[in-house]
Amino acid sequence: MFKEEKTLCHTALQTALKVGAQKARINFVKSSMDLVNTLDGEVDKLTRCLDSSMNIILFVDGKFGGFSTNKLSENALESFILRAVDTVRMLAPDDARDLPARERQIQGSLNGRELGLYDNYYEKICADERRDLALNAAVWPSKGKAWKLISEEGEYSDSLDFSYVIDSGGLEALHCETRFSYGVEITIEDFKGRKYSGYWWDSSPFLSELKSAGIGGKALEMAIGQIGAKSIKSGKYNMVVDREVSSKLFSPILAALNGYSIQQGNSFLMDAVGKKVFSEGLTVMDCPHIKGQNGSRLFDSEGVATREHAIIEKGVVKEFFLNSYTANKLGLSPTQEDAIRPKLMPYAPDSKKTLNTLGRDDLMHLCGKGILVNYFNGGNSNTATGDFSYGIEGFYFEDGKPVKPVSGMLVTGNFLTLWLDLLAVAADARPCREKLIPSLAFKDVDFSG
Amino acid sequence: MNKNKYLKIFGVTEAQMKQLVGEGLKGGGSWCDLYFENTLTCDLLLRDGSVSSGAANESYGCGIRVLQNGKTAYAYSESTAWRELLRAARAVCGIASSGSNIPPIAAHKADTKSGGQYYPIKTDWREKSAAEFVSALQKLDNAIRSKDSRVQKVIAILSYSMSDIMMYNSLGELTCDTKPMGSLAASVIFMQNGKSETKSVSRSFRMGAEMIGDALIEELADMAVEGLDASFEARRPKGGEMPVVMAAGASGILLHEAMGHAFEADFNRKGQSIFADKMGKRVAKRGINIIDDATIPGNRGALNYDDEGVTGQKTYMVEDGVLKSYLHDRISAEHFGVAPTGNGRRESFRYNPIPRMRCTYMESGSDGTLQDLIGSVRKGIFVDQFANGQVKIGEGDFSFYVKSGYTIVNGRLDMPVKDINIIGNGPKALADITAVAGDLKIDDSTWTCGKEQSVSVSCGIPSVLVKKLTVGGI
Repeated sequence: MFKEEKTLCHTALQTALKVGAQKARINFVKSSMDLVNTLDGEVDKLTRCLDSSMNIILFVDGKFGGFSTNKLSENALESFILRAVDTVRMLAPDDARDLPARERQIQGSLNGRELGLYDNYYEKICADERRDLALNAAVWPSKGKAWKLISEEGEYSDSLDFSYVIDSGGLEALHCETRFSYGVEITIEDFKGRKYSGYWWDSSPFLSELKSAGIGGKALEMAIGQIGAKSIKSGKYNMVVDREVSSKLFSPILAALNGYSIQQGNSFLMDAVGKKVFSEGLTVMDCPHIKGQNGSRLFDSEGVATREHAIIEKGVVKEFFLNSYTANKLGLSPTQEDAIRPKLMPYAPDSKKTLNTLGRDDLMHLCGKGILVNYFNGGNSNTATGDFSYGIEGFYFEDGKPVKPVSGMLVTGNFLTLWLDLLAVAADARPCREKLIPSLAFKDVDFSG
Repeated sequence: MNKNKYLKIFGVTEAQMKQLVGEGLKGGGSWCDLYFENTLTCDLLLRDGSVSSGAANESYGCGIRVLQNGKTAYAYSESTAWRELLRAARAVCGIASSGSNIPPIAAHKADTKSGGQYYPIKTDWREKSAAEFVSALQKLDNAIRSKDSRVQKVIAILSYSMSDIMMYNSLGELTCDTKPMGSLAASVIFMQNGKSETKSVSRSFRMGAEMIGDALIEELADMAVEGLDASFEARRPKGGEMPVVMAAGASGILLHEAMGHAFEADFNRKGQSIFADKMGKRVAKRGINIIDDATIPGNRGALNYDDEGVTGQKTYMVEDGVLKSYLHDRISAEHFGVAPTGNGRRESFRYNPIPRMRCTYMESGSDGTLQDLIGSVRKGIFVDQFANGQVKIGEGDFSFYVKSGYTIVNGRLDMPVKDINIIGNGPKALADITAVAGDLKIDDSTWTCGKEQSVSVSCGIPSVLVKKLTVGGI
């Protein structure tokens, strides 16, 4: 980030204090991104994105407001902040609003590169290389005995993001990261005229670690695997959920532990801290400091220092996610505003394999027979009760091996009972994801078809 | 259209825009357009009985697009200073010229002259201060609490935006518009005998601040507590395939997910849609008409012009059961050799336009009333409130999440149900609509479609009977 933009942030902070705010925080984000989209082996779209915006948090006479703008001239900013302070004055006071205590925030001066998420090669990459990267993994044109390729859409992107935060309590912190991503979606048609699609992707802070080779082939393989899929008989089945989609079943737990949900009474995990509400097989660590990995962060949006800690340990909830506001509202001590980089630890009491080597296929062997879910087609959950219902695709398996593809089915249940029925947790989470959720196995889940 | 107002907002002249387009086309492109946007978005939030949080966002900039035989180069600038605009135009010119040298395409046959007046603004949101809306949120809180003693918590949110839009293209067409949008929503937590229930309700209109009034507040409060007894009693039904009666209004999500997306022409241009080879063919029973419409005054999906400067219009996708038209932007219209249908939409100047729905609905039928439809089902399900939906374009498999409904036993509503997903296949579900009542209702909730970009939409439908869908259950 450039010196003049940091200066602009400090000017904005001083302006806010000068025109009536007693406390303020400035979050400045600046990003650049280039995308190359391909269609059927040719470049289809090229996009260049350059964004800067300033988020201004104001505490005025016990009142609170959040404002953002991308009009970043000094004059425009001053006028914007003046109007913002006037707006805040019209609101009701809320004594729960405050900056975090300085000792909870990240200390020292950061250059943004402490977590090793910046690839110097980003500055060298050129348009021709981007185009080659976007086209290299294409499988177009391909044809099989039982299918024809209808379309292949690819997207290569690289980006650089800066996030700079200062506040009137003395916080100053910078985070920066590069990211290189590539994904392919394939649509095929079988000899009966039915279409099937498959998608695969990868992402890394470093171009040299982007696993783009074979991505088109993997997407094609997934589409072919679904040929002939149909629903099977409704009933209770063991369920193995592939690591690509398992966050669908874990993210609602994180949402239910969020302080806003707790404060509003809109959570199926009210009063859960210190209680064993899940299977003892569920242990979740927050690991935000792993160098060179997507999602690692030293501080959150309030500047609070992140930490390595247990969120859930052997089924016992260790803490809610409480920022300054929700902690004050609930009369509790603040923790951290959210899980930064949660990691589910492996668990398989009946497995003879080393836990750290467990993959999805091992979970299928442990279950014997059941349904492997590799795609969720819509659905939702009730945040207050934990009831859920999702559309699914995948495979029926026996003896740990896929027997036939399934689609057009629904899985229905309640998160509390589902996670009490956890059979096993694999160790195969993809490091390209910010949340490290591996393949999961559950027993006796209701499927409708 | 007072073009001088918009030229002043963005600080450019027509001559400069012509020059920018010229710069964009220097790399060999055949089409270039500019999209200027100045949007102010504000939110006021009531929590725990007081309006103690406010937010505002300004978003300003210009997107520049060059097309080369259906291929796109896109860049944008967050400043409209001449130097920055020129830089963005040269960027798209550069990326366009890095593609193959394809001959220019023909001029697009679009109606850009007769923009509608589908959202005349009586009170510009920007002329009001936040304080003037605080009382509306407090009234809504009070109204909801007064209607049911089981109310525990209320979050009420007023969101509004005003967007000044100016578009210019390589045909020399200049189009300007100011788009308002207002949404009032409440999320309520109820408690009964230690059990919690949630309910979210909203109303959204492309209107100025005149939309806020006692009638709207009362309507939302009634909606918030409607069906609460049934919610506490509701259980999961036995799952499986069964007939589904869908109530008029929000059940229009069926059309949006099961058919609307598959009719968007980009998916058909690429051959991906399950409807890609169905143009001119029967896809539903006789008498069924499905429309995507930008011309309903004040509707969340209303558009005087789309985001490519094409006049807002009403498009019959299915007429008397036959597939008549896809939903086109300029690229797909060129591909199919038809006029654009005014469906080129974008989330903001940061995105290039793609085919998107507006207000998607089915016209009323002649198969009686909702009661007639329920009465015709021996064993099935009735659904009336929804949360979200999704579709797989190629397979046509869609789903939508049901917040409330009832089982149907021997032609009568029986046990209340909630929190179930319903899944089906688009063409099959469309063909399986066996009865359409005469009670079309457009639902004015805050529907937002998330295909690559978020855009405001709405939907509607008369009560319909679908012969067979798969219902989640235990």
